[in-house]
Amino acid sequence: MAFYRAHVLVCKGTGCSASGSSSVFDALGEEIRKRGLDQEVALVETGCHGMCEMGPIVVIYPEGSLYCRVSVDDVPEIVEEHLYKGRLVQRLLYTTPDRKVKVPRYRDIPFYSKQHRIALRNCGYINPDNIEEYIARDGYAALAKALTSMKPEEVLSEVKTSGLRGRGGGGFPTGLKWEFCRKAPGDKKYVICNADEGDPGAFMDRSILEGDPHAVIEGMMLGAYAMGADEGYIYCRAEYPLAIKRLVGAIAQAEEFGLIGDNVMDTDFSFHLHIKEGAGAFVCGEETALMASIEGERGMPRPRPPFPANKGLWGKPSNINNVETWANVPNIIRNGGSWFASIGTEKSKGTKVFALTGKVNNTGLVEVPMGTTIRDIVFDMGGGILKDRKFKAVQIGGPSGGCLTEEHLDLPVDYESLTAAGAIMGSGGLVVMDEDTCMVDVSKFFLEFTQRESCGKCVPCREGTKQMLLILEKITSGKGRMEDLKILEDLAVMVKEMSLCGLGQTAPNPVLTTLRYFRDEYETHIRDKKCLAKACSALISYLIDPDKCKKCGLCAKNCPVKCISGDRNTPYVIDQEKCIKCGTCLEVCPFQAVFKE
Amino acid sequence: MNNITLTIDGKTCDGVQGDTILEVARRNDVYIPTLCFLEGLTPIGSCRMCVVEVEKNPKMLTACTTPAQDGMVVHTQTEKLREFRRQMLELIFAGRNHFCMYCSQSGDCELQDLAIEHGMDSVRYPYLYAGFDNDATHRDIQMDHNRCILCLRCIRVCAEKVGTHTLDLQKRGWNATIVSDLGRRLGESSTCTTCGACAQVCPTGTITLREFAYRGRRKDCDDVVESVCPLCSIGCRIKAYVRTGSIARVEGTSVTEPDGGQLCKKGRWTLPRSAERERISVPMIREGSHYREASWEEALDLVARNFQKAHGADSDGILVSSLCTDEELSLFVSLFKDGLGMERLDTFDGDVLRGFVKGFEPFRRQGVRPFTAAHNILDSDCIVNLSADPDEEAPVIASYMRVGTLRNGASLLNLSCKTSPFADITDVDAVTATPAQSVALVEGLAELVADLKASGSEAQEEGKISVGELAGKTGIPEETVERIINKLAGSQRPVFVLGGCLSRDPGAVTSAVNLAIASRAIFEDGIGVVPLVVSGNSLGTINTVLAKEPWIGRKKLDFLYVYSTGLVPEDEESLSAISGTKFVVVQCPFWAQPLVNFADVLLPAPAWFERSGHYCTIEGERRRLNVVVPPKGEIRGLASILKDLSAGLGVEPEKPKESPCGNLFASEKPPADARMVSLEEVRN
Ligand SMILES: Cc1cc2nc3c(=O)[nH]c(=O)nc-3n(C[C@H](O)[C@H](O)[C@H](O)COP(=O)(O)O)c2cc1C
Ligand code: SF4
Ligand code: SF4
Ligand code: SF4
Ligand code: SF4
Ligand code: SF4
Ligand code: FES
Ligand code: FES
Repeated sequence: MAFYRAHVLVCKGTGCSASGSSSVFDALGEEIRKRGLDQEVALVETGCHGMCEMGPIVVIYPEGSLYCRVSVDDVPEIVEEHLYKGRLVQRLLYTTPDRKVKVPRYRDIPFYSKQHRIALRNCGYINPDNIEEYIARDGYAALAKALTSMKPEEVLSEVKTSGLRGRGGGGFPTGLKWEFCRKAPGDKKYVICNADEGDPGAFMDRSILEGDPHAVIEGMMLGAYAMGADEGYIYCRAEYPLAIKRLVGAIAQAEEFGLIGDNVMDTDFSFHLHIKEGAGAFVCGEETALMASIEGERGMPRPRPPFPANKGLWGKPSNINNVETWANVPNIIRNGGSWFASIGTEKSKGTKVFALTGKVNNTGLVEVPMGTTIRDIVFDMGGGILKDRKFKAVQIGGPSGGCLTEEHLDLPVDYESLTAAGAIMGSGGLVVMDEDTCMVDVSKFFLEFTQRESCGKCVPCREGTKQMLLILEKITSGKGRMEDLKILEDLAVMVKEMSLCGLGQTAPNPVLTTLRYFRDEYETHIRDKKCLAKACSALISYLIDPDKCKKCGLCAKNCPVKCISGDRNTPYVIDQEKCIKCGTCLEVCPFQAVFKE
Repeated sequence: MNNITLTIDGKTCDGVQGDTILEVARRNDVYIPTLCFLEGLTPIGSCRMCVVEVEKNPKMLTACTTPAQDGMVVHTQTEKLREFRRQMLELIFAGRNHFCMYCSQSGDCELQDLAIEHGMDSVRYPYLYAGFDNDATHRDIQMDHNRCILCLRCIRVCAEKVGTHTLDLQKRGWNATIVSDLGRRLGESSTCTTCGACAQVCPTGTITLREFAYRGRRKDCDDVVESVCPLCSIGCRIKAYVRTGSIARVEGTSVTEPDGGQLCKKGRWTLPRSAERERISVPMIREGSHYREASWEEALDLVARNFQKAHGADSDGILVSSLCTDEELSLFVSLFKDGLGMERLDTFDGDVLRGFVKGFEPFRRQGVRPFTAAHNILDSDCIVNLSADPDEEAPVIASYMRVGTLRNGASLLNLSCKTSPFADITDVDAVTATPAQSVALVEGLAELVADLKASGSEAQEEGKISVGELAGKTGIPEETVERIINKLAGSQRPVFVLGGCLSRDPGAVTSAVNLAIASRAIFEDGIGVVPLVVSGNSLGTINTVLAKEPWIGRKKLDFLYVYSTGLVPEDEESLSAISGTKFVVVQCPFWAQPLVNFADVLLPAPAWFERSGHYCTIEGERRRLNVVVPPKGEIRGLASILKDLSAGLGVEPEKPKESPCGNLFASEKPPADARMVSLEEVRN
């Protein structure tokens, strides 16, 4: 094996690939070869680092320096300066948004320094296409340990001790769920990995599958061993072609290494794994719908009980866990359940990956111990609000989650606290909102999503969310009445309690939390017909300040409906009748003469 | 079985482990409103009307899907539940068009009933007026999606009972609608059998049968009479709705029956439409090319005179429909066969039945019943079609075969002289060029499978046929023969559906039973063969009017008495024999063409809805036909007519020796003891 003095890691996750990391990778290869460094410098492609906004990301070891937004044009400089002369390329280093400091080392970047990576342990470190790199990082050690020195009950009991709970939304204790399945009578059982990741904004599952597919596979095999299953399915969103490709490759390699198949590691344990591409609907992520979809039926939720543990896939006892849940398992078996349980809070153990988006400086994936406060996530890792605006709310848990306010900033993020506050952990979407965000508009946005994605089977969800959405549309267009708030709230409570599956049961959460914490905003929309955040287009007008207008005519030229008139001598005015409130004039005016009211 | 006890609304209710809360409640007479639930179909919990509260459980639970547990304390009528149910109903009414005054189902609608029951006098949500499609593309079935509540009963009955899976759901959320054949309108469907089951179970005015919509709602009917459908050998149970003395609609009965309460297109449409047909209301006598009305005395007198003449010359015959009841068949037998010692009695399609009788005979002699109840197809893991065309011969059998294959995971094999009528779901399709090759195939398979099952290996014995020889003889490729053998050998309970071109040949029938015995197709009641005999009471003719040997068309006769129910067309062979007879009496309820044109005397007869009696069905039981509407005017029951006739002839009818269904369903020995027999035995 060759020894390299430096490793250049190029992120080939979906985010970085989209911003051009493949050509950066090729250019680096070319340049390194040209310089005759190819015997000394190893070029490696990796999965996602979680900071996709800053991509393409290139990390160089031994220094551990991280370069952001690297383009092909930067390549000669990186090779010349860093790899040849040993000098960091300052201009490509990460810069903190607040104090504008360049951070030379990867792990000192605030975005990373507070993280605790268990599920994302290997993401960005190893080449996911090479099983040997996974094995070099103790991969499949947990499986070997389990198969050779632990009884299935002991694996189960380790997972129970760890306190691991489902990362796919519900937070159900994983060990307990496994126990149900283990105890269910039946000689054929299935383990399933839910990789349907449909929450808009969430991409932790994709990153894990792309960056460390073997962790998920190993987790599933440990689960299968503990529960007495011999077959598994990974149900993966069809929109994740790279994840699917990596999984296909990983399964093939594991089969080649004798890690998947009959008599794994010469034991009695056999395991076969299939990949099933998703049917493209959000509701297919719901476990019973997902199983219907694997069976080739329309992906529609079925009533529970019977629970999958007793009657799951093809009527057989089945256990379904989320990608992140599975990825935690090898770590638990390797390091012990009590190690995992020492991280986090009393009832929520370990870490959780959040997809931080919205109006923060650093967006991306962060994995933090349970119990970390929202403030830490938003202000330390996220680097605070964009353009130094005022923080207003965070929306946690995706379309099923809720909106929390400034007073919740010091809330420790764990299952119980979030649920008590009206939000949910969900899959870990975390959208930061600033003062320009209208909360009525936000709840309308999420409800539009769930309403569209409802499968249409049960009445409360199908008809109830539709009526709720109509009320929100009325309110945001200034036609609401005060009585509507009561009807809306009654509907929300009813839909939450009466719906058949989790989609309907959580769809009202954004509405209920905003009604709880931001009721005055609803009332202002209704009573004063005003949207103070100036987000609801029906309630605002675009106007031109004649004093500021320099009569350049740019706005009129760009207005798509040509409703702005004026000339060199007369200030420009907008015809309110015709204006469609697209906001183009505001964007194009070089003198900030256009404003919203 | 574990008994459990629940408290529902303060009442102690007994149930059994595995029951749902709803099942326990219903059995103990506690009412819980339901809408999407329909007994016999998989519960899906979509309408949420049946929600209940269970103490110590914070969730709203749907009674139709939640398993009952011992000690549960259930409340079905709390303030909160009532409010939620009302909200549910209001949402449904606001969601699509439910202006009842324009709906044909108004007064006959489960949704409307619930709204009334819940005092829903206003709707707090805006009406959404969506303008969904009103699908009128199908000739008989209307589907107005604007009234659909997406309870999915139609989809479930079509998939779980009819087995065509014509209907499904398309689109998501609020835009979801029922669709046929993945995106077509109902009239364009290639899978719909027009059975009307979907309309029968639809709780609203969405799917309606146009014809019946105008004849009045179920609730306005004066009477509902249970009876059986005489049209095919199954004899489905039916409910006939009567309004002002005529039949308003015909429906299947309970969905919990094996047949799922469905009717096939024959029963659904032919029965009620027959009530509108032109009747033969008085006796008529031919005069040249016309008929003139006559009194019963005059007509019967003419019949008696012509009969006596022919009887003396041994040139008389009686041809009776197999849609007659046991009792009617017995009347004919007691007068003509036992009373007058006539030989020439028979039924239409007698050859088909004789094929079965002769083919079954060797097994009968062994004391076993060589066939099984048709619904056992649903319990089979390998369904074999032997030249039958079930969708024509007995459509509900076709449903059993589809459901067995699609839902219960059975294999479907077609060993036949025609390609499989179930093209898309057939596992092995072995089509021979001639019926004879088909029989050879079945017989050869019987030998091969018997060996395999007996010895567990394919070791070939001396003198026995080999796979290669069989393939050569039948023109079926060797690998196909192998596949069939493997399927049959690997199956626990195969079943053989026998009909069509094979049934006339006793050898074919025997070979089918042989193959069934070889592949251990053993059911509790008999050997796993389902014979598709012709009509409702074909089995009943076996012990009564069925002739031992065929005589129809063998000799020109002077007199023929033809009794037809007018519901199914007569076969050509019989018709040409009738037309060649000198004096023909036709007794028939309707002006059934062309039969009535051959008559010298026409006698009225009661129609299916005016008669009562029993049928021996291939479901393995006697089922009762009931009078739905009593006969009017000159129409008289068969018994009184034959009584007058026998008086005219001066004979005393003898009580028949055998009762029609008699030993038909009996089995003296366990079916497992049955032995295969040699074909020579039957053919000679
Ligand atoms: C509408 C809906 C969508 C869901 N989508 C996902 C998903 O994309 N990924 C996921 O892991 N779980 C999803 N879930 C949760 C699953 O039903 C299930 O609880 C989860 O896969 C269990 O795994 P866990 O215990 O590891 O969390 C969804 C639930 C609902 C109701
Ligand atoms: S809650 Fe919504 S998504 Fe879930 S079953 Fe009901 S309609 Fe379908
Ligand atoms: S772009 Fe601004 S400055 Fe120019 S005409 Fe419009 S409002 Fe005036
Ligand atoms: S379907 Fe029922 S509720 Fe709807 S309009 Fe017709 S009668 Fe009324
Ligand atoms: S008529 Fe019968 S086959 Fe056609 S859609 Fe309805 S239930 Fe299905
Ligand atoms: S058509 Fe009738 S049976 Fe089918 S879903 Fe609609 S309301 Fe229910
Ligand atoms: S894809 Fe490169 S950091 Fe996420
Ligand atoms: S009857 Fe139970 S949910 Fe519809």
